[in-house]
Amino acid sequence: MTAQPMMAPVRPSPESSSARKRRRGGGSGVALRPGFLSYGLLLAWILGSAYPLWWSFVVASGTNATRGETLPLIPGGNFLANAARVLDAIPFWLALGNSIIVSSVITISVVTFSTLAGYAFAKLRFRGREGLLVFVIATMAIPTQLGIIPLFIVMRELGWTGTLGAVIVPTLVTAFGVFFMRQYLVGVIPDELIEAARVDGATQLRTFFTVAVPAARPAMAILGLFTFMMAWTDYLWPLIVLSPQNPTLQTALSQLQSGYYVDYSIVLAGAVLATLPLLILFIAAGRQLISGIMQGAVKG
Amino acid sequence: MRLSRATSAASIAAGTAVLALVASGCATDTATGPNEPGGNGKQIELTITTFGTFGYEALYEEYMDLNPNVRIVANNIDTGGNARTDVFTKLGAGSGLSDIVALEEGWLGSIMEVSDRFVDLREYGIEDRGSDWVDWKYQQATDPDGRVIGYGTDIGPEGICFNGPLFEEAGLPSDREGVAELLDGGWDRYFEVGADYLAETGRAWYDHSGFVWNAMVNQLDEGYYTSSGELNVEGNAELRARFDQLAEATLSGQSAAQSAWDWNGGQSFVDGTFATFICPGWMLGVLQGNTEAGGGSADTGWDFADVFPGGAANWGGAFLAIPETSNNKEEAAKLADWLTQPEQQIKQFEAAGTFPSTLEAQQELAANPIPNAFFNDAPVGEILAGRAEGVIAQFKGPDDSLIQENVFGPPLQALDRGEMTADEAWAEALQLLNELVD
Amino acid sequence: MTDTLPRTAAAGDAPGTPSPADANGRTRRRRRWSLSRLDMAASPYLYIAPFFVLFAVTGLFPLVYTLVVSLHDWPLLQGQGDFVGLENFATVLGDRFFWNSIGNTLSIFLLSTIPQLAVALVLASILDQHLKARTFWRMSVLLPYVVTPVAVALIFTNVFNEQSGLVNNLIGLVGIDPIQWKNDVLASHVAIATMVNWRWTGYNTLILLAAMQAVPRDLHESAAIDGAGAARRFFSITIPSIRPTVIFVIITATIGGLQIFAEPRLFDVSNAGGIGGSQRQFQTTVLYLWEMAFFRGDFGRAAAIAWLLFLLIVAIGLVNFAISRRIASVETARISRRAQRRLAAHQGGTR
Repeated sequence: MTAQPMMAPVRPSPESSSARKRRRGGGSGVALRPGFLSYGLLLAWILGSAYPLWWSFVVASGTNATRGETLPLIPGGNFLANAARVLDAIPFWLALGNSIIVSSVITISVVTFSTLAGYAFAKLRFRGREGLLVFVIATMAIPTQLGIIPLFIVMRELGWTGTLGAVIVPTLVTAFGVFFMRQYLVGVIPDELIEAARVDGATQLRTFFTVAVPAARPAMAILGLFTFMMAWTDYLWPLIVLSPQNPTLQTALSQLQSGYYVDYSIVLAGAVLATLPLLILFIAAGRQLISGIMQGAVKG
Repeated sequence: MRLSRATSAASIAAGTAVLALVASGCATDTATGPNEPGGNGKQIELTITTFGTFGYEALYEEYMDLNPNVRIVANNIDTGGNARTDVFTKLGAGSGLSDIVALEEGWLGSIMEVSDRFVDLREYGIEDRGSDWVDWKYQQATDPDGRVIGYGTDIGPEGICFNGPLFEEAGLPSDREGVAELLDGGWDRYFEVGADYLAETGRAWYDHSGFVWNAMVNQLDEGYYTSSGELNVEGNAELRARFDQLAEATLSGQSAAQSAWDWNGGQSFVDGTFATFICPGWMLGVLQGNTEAGGGSADTGWDFADVFPGGAANWGGAFLAIPETSNNKEEAAKLADWLTQPEQQIKQFEAAGTFPSTLEAQQELAANPIPNAFFNDAPVGEILAGRAEGVIAQFKGPDDSLIQENVFGPPLQALDRGEMTADEAWAEALQLLNELVD
Repeated sequence: MTDTLPRTAAAGDAPGTPSPADANGRTRRRRRWSLSRLDMAASPYLYIAPFFVLFAVTGLFPLVYTLVVSLHDWPLLQGQGDFVGLENFATVLGDRFFWNSIGNTLSIFLLSTIPQLAVALVLASILDQHLKARTFWRMSVLLPYVVTPVAVALIFTNVFNEQSGLVNNLIGLVGIDPIQWKNDVLASHVAIATMVNWRWTGYNTLILLAAMQAVPRDLHESAAIDGAGAARRFFSITIPSIRPTVIFVIITATIGGLQIFAEPRLFDVSNAGGIGGSQRQFQTTVLYLWEMAFFRGDFGRAAAIAWLLFLLIVAIGLVNFAISRRIASVETARISRRAQRRLAAHQGGTR
């Protein structure tokens, strides 16, 4: 139940890689050298867009009154105290654990089934392949949010409301994942390799594991990263199907905002706390994320 | 290179996942609790969902001490409005409701439409306690078939909270008795003094018109519905007259046009934005919490006067009900019964300012007034006991809270901001009524 | 698609399996051959089956069943009621709040897509230069993406607080009166669009950057030699070359933008837990769908809203697709012609 599909189809022009190499060599790119203006603009944008996050931290480490200051820059000393009050107000650790379970299971499922189906569409021949692929592409644009009413009714019949299963099951597969893996694998595995495996008497499944999976690994990592993000940020469906007793991080977080009295330093402490896990992941795997987005854009 | 980065990213993700699984495992453990192998064998877990400030935490502990075989798993939803959505979503889902669910008086009317989804508490002897409560509280919990579905917790008799220093600045009497005398009378009197205050200080009299409107409607014999359950808004002259009265005062600038439940993070209670505030018993805790969140304290000068414009009024109050889906109906009834006993209601009052619905507890509070340090040492229990006298149980229809919040809310906010005339606002309310209530 | 697989058959008989032609061996080989043939034929279906089965259950079935619900009187509590035909659709189409939500959604969508795209294009073209500490800049641009929409909403609800929020404090410095971010319709749309823009601009910058890097560098160089300045090259080379990507970004922003929920719900929680402003100033269609289903408890009408929204998304998607296809084909043709000319001229010149 993603808000935005994630990767753009950019056809790499045949010259591009060599052109880029030449450019990296730095030979003739006189006109492309960045000036102070470029750095200045970029820096201004980055400072401007990072400030709301820093501001949240500053208010989260202060009091409600901090919010009223014009341009607070220096954090106060209340962050830990406010964070502790967040932990009192919402079941933070339970929510964090739930979010990790939900996102991990969805990620594993989406990556596994997308790789299997993507490989079949990319490299195996079977009756109905073209038609089914068109079907997959056509359904990519269907937002799953629109099915919340029947899904809710079904979960009621199954008695699953309030459980993590109700959050996980509707997102076990995505059409996008299949299409993405197919696009990647179509170019990356030479047909000869599959032939060779077959000649050696390998079964299809064995070929899949020895040829397709190793080749697909980078794309699987990218798809996994984005699927995890998608599941992690989902709000609407967990809000409907889970109860405040057993929330995900997003639904628990949103509870901080309303109440008969609201301490904004606590609300923002919650926002900062909930951002920390992804921020750490981002700092650790940011390069990967960036090359993921950019490769996804080129390969898709 | 790229591949190894992918692997390391994946392993970081996996590592985090494992860590968190461990963490959540621990969390779940504490949530499910030890199974007390040495206990009397049968461990019972009771879940309870309340909302707002209920002040039950210490009582849960006490009950678990008294009943070692019972473990209470409590959940509190931020506001009554969200509690309503939660209850209805779960009724719709057919599962997920706690063993005990707190219902608010404002939306009890819509619960009564499906009252058979809740246990008839007469099976657990609530009839024997019937006379414990003020009679209208017990009546409210009784459905048309005579089934009783809720143990009354608190009621919301209303008084006027006022800010002493602001009154003094405006040259008005600033002591409790003086203010009670000053505001004694109908709403016209309240708005008259408000006009004086506004003229003197240039500042608003009340925080926003929604709460005032709520009180003006709630104290009528019949509100949005007739006693027989007919919707009665269009052509209701009494309602319209009150609406115009409020609109006039609001348009003249007496309203501070605040957003309810926000009040600028409580700061509007501190910086003198408005001088009076509609205060049902449970609102005292809300006011205090907001003032403190906004950086204020007892020194901010809020006080509580034994007066209410237009006579006695009640706003809110809650009930503890047991859904038919509960697996521990009997134990749940025991706990709910215990929580609503006079003794516990007094403790609840001390913890959260929610005024008891049982007569014995009310008399106790009246007889032994405890000064409330935050409200300038006002004997709030005694005052509220007096304010509860003469409250009538108005019939609440199925869409009462919807009409209050979503039909009258928007036009009243438009009045607050001076965007509509009284006529336009009333017409807008009627149109919304047609659209939202069928 | 044919299911005779000539190459496969050849592979099965490949001379790579030299064996004595005894009867036993032949049978074994035949059995293996037929097993492998079964393996060949069945495997693809086994591989795609999990996806299609799960997708049918979790994706298609709900869509169809939504239609069923929308044709019935269906209160949340009482469940399925009478068949009412298209009545729910008629009611929704005559409902001013529905149109209000569509208008809000489109307005927020425009306010978030256009500035976002403009800024992302500029940022991407800056990042496309020879920057020092490339990764640092790219990561910094992407930073807001790690903040989830709910956290974004919490942060910006405070940033845009009318009485003591950051923005009103800052504009107060230059003497501008506080803006009513939650009450004023346009201002509230700007506030919500800002949340969306803040989170997604960096992300789209990187996508556009990837597209820009795929543009043949020689084009730029030859244009530079021809005397075209940076701005000129940006508009006459960069933009046309990456137009398909731009359109893709617009399409994804459309699909995302039509489904905005967390931001408007959490921007003002004072009414019914958040229905998009006291007077639905910024109630989006998904938020209205939520209100109808879970606050007002009318599943029938909510399902009708879901279907109408679905049709709208499909319609916009088709329009987008048609436009992008035409533009893409025209552009590719034109660009490659121009590129060839330029390259030829350039190479001729240097040689």
